[in-house]
Amino acid sequence: MPFSLRSTFPRMLALAGMAALAALVSNTLASASRRLAWSSYALAPPVPTPLREGTVVSMPSQPSANPPSEPVARARPAPLAKPQGSALRPPQPQAATAENPIREITSQEAWKAFQTGVPFLDARRSAEYVEGHIPGAWCTPIWESDLDDRLLSFKAARRPGPEDPIIIYCSGGSCRDSHLLAAKLLNEGYFHLLIYRDGFPDWVAQGHPIDKGQP
Amino acid sequence: MRRWLSHPNLTMAVRVLLGLVFIAAALPKIMDPPGFTKAIWAYELFPVWSLSPLALILPWLELFTGLALCLGLWVRAAALWVAALLLSFSLALSINLIRQHPVDCGCFGASTPGTESERLADMRWIILRDAGLLLLAIQVLWTTGPGRGTHQPANSASTDGQQV
Repeated sequence: MPFSLRSTFPRMLALAGMAALAALVSNTLASASRRLAWSSYALAPPVPTPLREGTVVSMPSQPSANPPSEPVARARPAPLAKPQGSALRPPQPQAATAENPIREITSQEAWKAFQTGVPFLDARRSAEYVEGHIPGAWCTPIWESDLDDRLLSFKAARRPGPEDPIIIYCSGGSCRDSHLLAAKLLNEGYFHLLIYRDGFPDWVAQGHPIDKGQP
Repeated sequence: MRRWLSHPNLTMAVRVLLGLVFIAAALPKIMDPPGFTKAIWAYELFPVWSLSPLALILPWLELFTGLALCLGLWVRAAALWVAALLLSFSLALSINLIRQHPVDCGCFGASTPGTESERLADMRWIILRDAGLLLLAIQVLWTTGPGRGTHQPANSASTDGQQV
């Protein structure tokens, strides 16, 4: 082996080792919003495709949700005027569990749900939450390491039952953070997860109230 | 032409430029590992368990290789890493471009989200940019390779293959 290769490869390994060491130290010293868990990252498997407006992923037991005869793109999901009522609550939770009780809701549905006190979870980064969020929304950034602690605080304060509706939003468009958070909550036994597809930008565009600052 | 391409001044300019690009790319990612994790995840090429180690180590590797190139230390080892990273980035972008899956490259931290067609167009330009940077890395590797002692940089003792 030429002398240059004998010295180059150990130096490449040394650079990688220095990078790993620096990463370890910086991650240890980082704030909670910037720290990562080295292993067992709290991510559900990727959601392959963002859902379209009005698409009902599951809850076939809700006849008003999305009749099969309606085109998917124009389908109207179940109304949210009575979020604690039967329209939002699957009549047969066990059956809904077997399917996939996550569906997307429109801007109007999100607004109605907001007025009736349905809890909102903000899946965006905590810095984005501080800049502006839906009033009363819980800061639950899917990409930050303290997500589980934040979710525990939410559960302790609101005590949502498995069938109670929870609305999750992020930045709309191609943002899939809310889908990831919904998948995580589904794994934790919540079966009524509503994704506000157009998210916070739409909320602002609609002229709805917002809050700023820390949770 | 060959003599001009291997001129020590050109080599020094190229390695400093390459180093600065890698330092500039590393800093936003070091400042925001969760954001970079999200960018890597969006490529849909890596298992979930690998996201955090990649997001934590890769930016520091970029920083150290960038610093090594700028300072003229371990130049060949750093240039080999840079070439390997650029090849990996280009490959990851190309795979997603082929399957028409628009991703935010995450090269210099988070970028402004655009439409799908805008992001696909960006990906093409980024692959071209990476190819250009790869040519620069090859130039550094070529001029610091074995048997090229006449065109070593001024601080030849700092390059690989020489006594340090």
